[in-house]
Parts: sequence; C-alpha cells; structure tokens
Amino acid sequence: MDRREPIPRPADGASTPTPVPALPNRRAANGEGRSRLRGWLASPVALLPLGLVALVAAVLLWESRLANLGPSFWGLNYFFDPSGGAPSVFGVSLFLVDSAIVAGPALALASGLSLAIAISTVVYLPPAPSRLLTLLTNLLAGIPSVVYGIWGYVVLAPYFGTTAQPTLRGFLGWLPGFGGPLSAGGVGSLLAIFILTIMVIPITAAVMRESLRNVPNDLVEAGLALGATPWEVVRRVRLRAARRGLWGAVFLGLGRAIGESVAVAMVIGASIQIPPNLYTPSTTLASFIFYQLDSAFFYPNLLTALTEFALVLLAVALVVNLLGQRASGADATVIVTGGGRG
Amino acid sequence: MSQAASAPPPANETLIGGTTRRPRKSTVGVGLAVGLAVVLLAVGLGGGYALGKSLGGSSGGTTQYTLTETGSTLIYPYLNLLGPNFTKIYPNVVISPAGTGSGTGISSAEQGLVDIGGTDAYLLPNVAAQYNLINVPIAISSQLIFYNVPGLSVPHLNLNGTVLAMIWSGVITNWNDPLIQAANPGVSLPNLPIVPLHRSDGSGDTFMFTSLCFLSWKGWTGGYGTTYSWKAGQPGYQGNAGMVTGLTNTRGGIAYIGISYLSSALAAGLQYAALGDQAANVNGTNPANYILPTPTNISEDANLALENLQPPSVAISLILGGVPGATNLQLGAGGTMPTAQYPTPYPDVNLEYTLISTHPSNPARQTWVVTFLEWAISSGATAPRLSTVNFLPLTPAVVGYDMQALASVPIG
Repeated sequence: MDRREPIPRPADGASTPTPVPALPNRRAANGEGRSRLRGWLASPVALLPLGLVALVAAVLLWESRLANLGPSFWGLNYFFDPSGGAPSVFGVSLFLVDSAIVAGPALALASGLSLAIAISTVVYLPPAPSRLLTLLTNLLAGIPSVVYGIWGYVVLAPYFGTTAQPTLRGFLGWLPGFGGPLSAGGVGSLLAIFILTIMVIPITAAVMRESLRNVPNDLVEAGLALGATPWEVVRRVRLRAARRGLWGAVFLGLGRAIGESVAVAMVIGASIQIPPNLYTPSTTLASFIFYQLDSAFFYPNLLTALTEFALVLLAVALVVNLLGQRASGADATVIVTGGGRG
Repeated sequence: MSQAASAPPPANETLIGGTTRRPRKSTVGVGLAVGLAVVLLAVGLGGGYALGKSLGGSSGGTTQYTLTETGSTLIYPYLNLLGPNFTKIYPNVVISPAGTGSGTGISSAEQGLVDIGGTDAYLLPNVAAQYNLINVPIAISSQLIFYNVPGLSVPHLNLNGTVLAMIWSGVITNWNDPLIQAANPGVSLPNLPIVPLHRSDGSGDTFMFTSLCFLSWKGWTGGYGTTYSWKAGQPGYQGNAGMVTGLTNTRGGIAYIGISYLSSALAAGLQYAALGDQAANVNGTNPANYILPTPTNISEDANLALENLQPPSVAISLILGGVPGATNLQLGAGGTMPTAQYPTPYPDVNLEYTLISTHPSNPARQTWVVTFLEWAISSGATAPRLSTVNFLPLTPAVVGYDMQALASVPIG
C-alpha cells in the first residue's frame, strides 16, 4: 500500500497521458451538471462538522455572556454560596489542574500498555491470538462509560479502599504523591486514573496498531537483512517510522481522558480540591460540569459559570484532538520520509 | 431473463469452486439481518399500536392525553406508582414521569416543556409567579443520617444539627469526640476518624441537609442549596443509591440519605441516627431531645409547622420546624421565605413539590393535570402506595391549601 504512493508521483510529474486525461473524459461523459451538483453537495457537508462546532461554541458564548471572565476565573480557587451569602469565585484552573492530574497518569499508563498491545499484535503474536487480542481490546471500547462507573464504585472502590491504596502506599509511599492520607471509601483520583486507563486503551491501541502495521515492509525486511533482531527492528525501525502516528494516538487518548465525564464523576469522589496525593478525591472539569448541571438550573450565576467552564473544556478538547488528528493524519507521508531517515 | 436468473449461481460455484461459500454466507447473513430488522420493526410497530389501542381502549371517542412530568428522582418512583393507577380510573390519560433531577424539573416547568415539574425544593413564590407556576406539594418526605460505625451498643446514635454541621465543617473529626459522647451517655464510642460523605450531583437532599446545618450552627459557612462548596477532601457520591454504596464501603463514614432509600440502607447493614430537635442544639445532653424518624414524628412535625403559617404558603422549609428568630430561608436569587416557628419532633422533614402552570396553553389538557393532582393528594394517596417509597400523606392543612390552589388554575 505504502509502496504505491510514491510511484504515481513521478508519473504525475512526467505528465504521461494515461491517468490524467481520463478524468475530463469521464466528466464529459457524465455531464458537467452532475459533478457540479456533487461539488455543491460536498462542500456544505464538509463544512457541517465545522459549523456544528462553531454553533456549540456560539451557544455557549451566548449563554455564558462571559460574565465571570475576570482574573479570578483563571485562578485556583472555587467557592459558590448557593444562598448568596458570600461572593462566589469560579476558578477554572483548579479543575484543569485536577483534569491533568487524573488524565496524565491515565494516559501514560494507557499509552505504555497500548504500545505493548500494538507491538504484540503486529509483530510477535501468531495471527489467531493477535486477532483475539485485537477483538478483546476493541470490545473495551464498546462498554458504555456508565458501566465502567458502576463497576468502579461497586466493585473496585471497596478493593481500592482496603487493599490497592494501602499496598501502593506501602511500596511507593516515599515518592511524592504516593504517601499521605488514603481515601476511606476507595473513591478518588487513583480509582479515576485506573478506570480512565482502561477506557483510553482501546483508542490508543487501535491507532498505534495501525501505525505500526503501516510501516512499509521494505524497511522491516531491510532491517532484518542487516542482521537486526526482531526487537531491534521494532525499536529502531517500526517505532521510529510510526513515531508520529504513535503521538497521534497519545493525543487522541488524551482527548478521551480529558473529556470523559460520567465514569469519572462516579468514582473520583467529587471533592473540589487539588488532591494532596493520588488517593484523595478530586474532580475533573468534565465531571464537575456533569454533576453540577442540575443545580445550575436553580442558580443562574452557577449556570453562566458552568457554560464558561464548558467553553474552556471545548477549547482544550479541540486543541488536543486537532493535534492528534494532525499527527496521525499525516502518518502516511510521514512514514515514508521517516522511514527514509531511519 | 429467467434463464439468466437461474444460471449464475451454479456458474459461480463451478467456476470459483471452494470460494463460493463466502458470498453465499454473506447473503445469508444479510438476509438474516434484514429479517431480524423487519421482525423488530414489526414487533415495535405492533407493540406501539397495541399500547396505543389499550390506552385508547374503553373510553372510545374521548381525546387521549399523555401528561409529562420530569424532575426529582425522589418523587419519580412515587409518580411511577400513581400513574398506572390513575390510568385505571381514567383510561384516556397516561402519566409519563421521568427522574431527571429537581433542577431539571424546575427549568423544564419554567420553559413549559412538561405538564408537571417535580422538585424536592420549592420554587420561590416570586420566581414561580414570574413563570406562571404554582407549588403543589404532593407528599411529605424526610431525610435520615446514616453512619457506618461497627460495634456500637445502641441501635441509634443521638446526633444534633450542631454536631452534624461541625462534622461536615471538619471541626469534629473523630467518633469519640466529647460532643458526640455528651449526646450519647453510656455509649462506648470508637477511636475512629469520621468520613463525611456528600452528594456530588444537584440534590434536594443536599438542600435539606445544608439547611439543617445552616440553621443549627452559627459557624456554618457557605450557605445552603442543592449544591454546596464542601470542605476539601470529603468524598462525594452520585444519587442516594451512590451514597448507600459509598457509606457501606466507608468505615467511619456518615451520610445524609433520603428516606426512600431506608430499606436499601438497612439491608446494607447501615444504622441511622436519632436527630436532635431545636432544643438539642442548645442542650445536646438531654436524651429527650433526640427523635427517631417514625411516621408519627415526621407527620407531627409537618402538622405543627404548617397549621399555623402566616401568611399561608407551602413554599416553606420544614427543617427544625423553622428556628425561632432565625433568618429566613431563601433559595436561589432574591426573595425570602417564612419559616414555620414551631418546635418539631423530627427536624429533617421536607415537602415534595410539583409545579404546574397557571396560564396553560391548552386548558382542556390542564383539566387532566389538575384532576390528576387532586386525585394524587386525596384518594390516590393510599397508605400502601406512600409506604412503598416511605413518603407520608400531606397534613390536612396542606391538602386544603393544595385544593384551593388547584381550583384557581383555569381549566377548559
């Protein structure tokens, strides 16, 4: 597949008559009208996603009227008195930091495991187990997030409270973030990280697998011919050639980790604070919006604050996803050039 | 033509040999899928038709109405119970409730998206008037304080509003605190850290509980409402069911839980407290000031609080029966509410409200909304139905108010 791509290029440059004139011929046969119609249809359809995102952003802007966009909005403090006794402070950075504290480790774990899964399926495993592993990983993506949430707080939370947290603290308590108080009921950042890791794996694993699979066979065979071991080929050829695709996978996973609300809301413990360690409850931006929404209908200024939070989340998610799309979308060409360097 | 139609399959088989099975298999698969889709469609259409027919059934020519409700998850099971029984009497009317949250109930009623909005917290009369809505209470609910403290010698600890406010504020942090010991003479309290739980979602229960803390202890900051800025580090759980699960997992935990979840909490081995009345907030050591949430005690609170209202209004907090001389409770932006000023047997009591329009766009439809609510607070509110969700019947004073309010709604 990848070999074919470079080949037409010299053909284009030489402007040999074979494929190029075929297009106008077909167009003439089918009639100008139809292709113009297609163009008319295609451009609005192509613009639809952009329009939808713009619409969402516009509605959020209108609803929030950016009423709270003072310096305190970007601060680390949150306080809301629903009965209006004291002035409210809506600091969005608190939730952004919490999101990073939860999404970061989850993404790191998920990326590592996904890379292992991708390498195993593409390189090492025989076809049958490889297909099975792919199937099982993809199955994880099909589980609704609320099911992860219920599983988290019914099954995992007691286990985390009594076993996982004390064990981890016992071994790694000397590391910053791993010592200190535990979360009695088991809910908290660590459980959210665990759940998120499982939820992110199917996405990162799928993109990583395709990136590794798309590495041209020439490169792999060249590596083997030079006497490299399979592992050396993985490390020096495949990983290098698929580098940007792998980064794309990480960014797509990050988008998922930051945006997930329901499952995280159910297991993170919903405490508005920067957690002093990995065990204690905190709250991500997405889960905070999710569980405050009903109250926001009671309190107009909470609703404006939440819509502003939603705008920030939208901006973060867009940036992350665009970075991911760019990296993985550019993969086909990058593999060739990257391969050339390797 | 007929030849061509019959010829290709054998030709295929003979030409490609072994591989012919694949296309055949996929044809069978597609056939199965299409067949399944057709069957599902037929079942769906048929079921829908049958349902529509059964709903239309006996009443012949009368117009069919599906009255929609959305809001409080606490009211939802009760309305779900009432609906089908109302349809038995009036087959042309179906009640379609949804448990979405009190905030959604209020906002949907304000926007006219539903016939009935359900909420645990009343809508302020001035806001209600602005949207042409009225508060119509349909039942009395209450809230219990559950705890997970193993090995206690008594079935119910004595706790009062001051102690609870101090626990959730982080002032009292251990079960053997002198203030808890003073309220529970002779009980051996363990040296165990207290973990106070809260609701992470918007909740009428949070409104009730923070109101109790606010009215009980001067040191309580942050006000009261369906959401609250809890002390950092305290774990939050989704819904009453989440609170029951969370508390079960949390040794030393304490949580406020709606009475609808009494049986599931008891089944999980949790215990609930006897709560102190207004006097207990002043003198917490007298055991007589601690009251259990029995139906009589809850009902008595509502009676005492509501019978003597000046001016008569049902948009009221029944917490602590209204604290003499205390500030008036208010919800949301602007406006204040009178609180009942009578001592209360059980302090954590609340009315469950429905919101309906006083300027209906379809008066004929509104006739059925009013008829349903009138039925729901009178003959529909049977003891078995109420006790299923641990609600209590409205007191005569509230029923009287409701009937008067419902009579004022223009119907066709």
